[in-house]
Amino acid sequence: MTVEEIFAILDEKFGAKRETLDKWGVTAVISASYLHNAVQFLKEGSDIKFEMLVDIAGIDYLTYPNHEGPRFAVSYAFKSVSKPGNRIRLKVLVSEEDLNVPTISDLYANANWYEREVFDQFGVIFEGHPDLRRLLNHVEFVGHPLRKDYPAQKRQWLSTNDYLLPQLEKRLEELGYKVVQRSKEVETNDNEFLEGSIKA
Amino acid sequence: MIVLDPNGEKLNLMPLNVGPSHPATHGCLRFLTAMDGETIVASVEEIGYLHRGFEKMVERGTWQQVIPYTDRLNYCSAIMNNIAFCRAVENMFGVEIPERSKVLRVIVNELSRINDHFVCVAAAFQDLGGTTPFMYAFNPREEIMCIWEKLTGARLTNSFARIGGLYRDSYAGFEQDVLDALNSTEKALKDLHACLDRNRIFLDRTVGIGKISAEKAISYGWTGPCLRASGVASDLRKDEPYYDYETYDWEVVVGTQGDCNDRLQVRLAEIEESVKIVRQALKRLAPGPVDIVDPRIRVPSHKLAYQDMEGLIGRFKSVYEGIRVPEGEYYCGSECANGELGFTIISDGSGHPYRIKVRPPCLTQFAAFHELVEGGLLADSMAVLSGLNIIAGELDR
Amino acid sequence: MGNEAEKPNIITSSLDFLVNWGRSNSLWPFPYGTACCAIEFMSTEVGRYDLSRIGSEYVRFTPRQSDVLLVAGTITYKQAPILKRIYEQMAEPRWVIAMGACASSGGFYDSYCTVPGIDHIIPVDVYIGGCPPRPEAFFDAMFDLQKKVKDESFMKQRAESVKEQLEMIKVKTAEAKRDVAACAHEKIVDIKDFMKEKQENLVKKAQFWKE
Repeated sequence: MTVEEIFAILDEKFGAKRETLDKWGVTAVISASYLHNAVQFLKEGSDIKFEMLVDIAGIDYLTYPNHEGPRFAVSYAFKSVSKPGNRIRLKVLVSEEDLNVPTISDLYANANWYEREVFDQFGVIFEGHPDLRRLLNHVEFVGHPLRKDYPAQKRQWLSTNDYLLPQLEKRLEELGYKVVQRSKEVETNDNEFLEGSIKA
Repeated sequence: MIVLDPNGEKLNLMPLNVGPSHPATHGCLRFLTAMDGETIVASVEEIGYLHRGFEKMVERGTWQQVIPYTDRLNYCSAIMNNIAFCRAVENMFGVEIPERSKVLRVIVNELSRINDHFVCVAAAFQDLGGTTPFMYAFNPREEIMCIWEKLTGARLTNSFARIGGLYRDSYAGFEQDVLDALNSTEKALKDLHACLDRNRIFLDRTVGIGKISAEKAISYGWTGPCLRASGVASDLRKDEPYYDYETYDWEVVVGTQGDCNDRLQVRLAEIEESVKIVRQALKRLAPGPVDIVDPRIRVPSHKLAYQDMEGLIGRFKSVYEGIRVPEGEYYCGSECANGELGFTIISDGSGHPYRIKVRPPCLTQFAAFHELVEGGLLADSMAVLSGLNIIAGELDR
Repeated sequence: MGNEAEKPNIITSSLDFLVNWGRSNSLWPFPYGTACCAIEFMSTEVGRYDLSRIGSEYVRFTPRQSDVLLVAGTITYKQAPILKRIYEQMAEPRWVIAMGACASSGGFYDSYCTVPGIDHIIPVDVYIGGCPPRPEAFFDAMFDLQKKVKDESFMKQRAESVKEQLEMIKVKTAEAKRDVAACAHEKIVDIKDFMKEKQENLVKKAQFWKE
């Protein structure tokens, strides 16, 4: 089975359209509501199993010449490990009013961090994501830097680093532990914490 | 903090921050662990300490101006990133580079891979406490960096590849220098194997530590030596060959256990395979052009620009406006030292890149870090971290 | 001691000479290496360009045991509080070397996340240019630092000599904090205005080319 045939099945079952801008490979444009099922089909149901999620990229079409349609897009690239050489891309168009896209982090483990990055840089919200917070920019950052209307040189100061303890407690709870009592050092006084560690 | 473990017993855990300023974390990774004595019960990672805004910076300039930025992605093997990017753009144009250029790119690729693997193994051993292999491994690196200096002008971040060819042809004496560097590499490999193979401390600290199964590794999107150490024979140079890699006589190195020891030994074995490839490639090096003769892609040389009107116009447009990459969206991955370095390139047909997304190989490896580390000792986490070869320039871009 | 003894004299200057000789010939670096410059620093440490021949025998990865904070690599705003903390944890006498273009001035990463030079955060003694600087350039900087150390006097506290730099850092930090406070209250820029501006720029550009 070739990737073209897989695309034909995607078209039939999930209403995928061929992306004309990709002249070198197969890219299917899918609506957000069919995304999870389509990805599950690619992973398990098809003849060529696409076991690896290679990349999730966010795209902002604000200053693209002659672009009609939603402002953002999220592009998923998949590759097959058992039948090497087969790759396929899925694209989901996201409008500015409705920034929600279902998550695929239950199917692929690395989608967790990839989706966090797209959220960080573009502001696309992934529904069902276990831990959607910033990945690359610091915790006090305001805005989404890779959007086209964010000026490249606008810098943002950080007063103190991310605490991370709440996330650690969440992870413990995922593993089956129950946090009963926090240590005393954790309860810092707010003033010292807010002032930050850069005491100029 | 006091927690109840799944069996209902009370445990007193200590949160310990292994922060960014730490020798094993190369200054850029942070993880907060909950410790029960010396055992790590849970850990949470944080990255982004070297996020420099590669993807925002490349949107400002032309396509050729992206190349120095790609240098600094995986700075241990800088030329491989250049070649990966140039390959992606050349595929978008649909052009083939000349034969000599292909062979030179293969030689330079494999020498960079040797460089990167040496740094990884040397730093890994130093993080475990031994400084001698560090010294041994950096000797062939010095020789290769001298070759880079003569060939490209810079020791570390040399922007050697260009879209449509290379910066310049090799110099007289290049082949002899490369052969000498290969001999030095083999000597250093022998020394490293003597230090590592039967070293009680090294084996105790790395065998059986940080095991990951092949299915989990694939689910996390691992590629490169770390995936091959788990037993999956996946190598882009054999699966989707480019630059005639399938015509050289070499093998994909595959590990068995998927533990830390395997990851480091796979890298050492890959150095041997790279040496084989370079020796074969040197024999294939035949005189010929190194750049494509197409002023829309590769800027005409100074000679042409100053003597010929079309050359002058071509040079002006290429430098001022940038080459015009055909409009479209394309993903292209190449086998770099850490795994599959991919570029999702979105071009709007003008001379400036619209969007370039880098797929870093080590992001996926670090995303699985908490799985590798939980349940082990704190000292084991250092061994695991160094075996994964996390290069922050690539991880955070 | 009376006032006379506080003026420089043969006893204090001989003692200075001895102390400075000891300090300059055993500068222990703390490589705060984040990016590519750290790899060049590693090359400087070993084999051919041996760093221990000028006294930096082994690198101590802890601020408590080192003299020179060697910042090698780009510093981002996420990393900045940590760098400041490490600097504050070092004991006097301490010096700072900014290695490479990124540490000295932000390098060619003029973006939303990089600090444009670590002198916005900590006082710097020697800057090394280069991307990455050659090992020879690094040695040149170490020799400059040794000259600087030999010129110091133990009668004057080091804190006084960096007072000026610390004042500038305070001003820059206050400015940056004000910018952040301003941006937090700013309204999100209207997309239409942004697009209009872009159109105007394009039109201007087209007119320029026509002429």
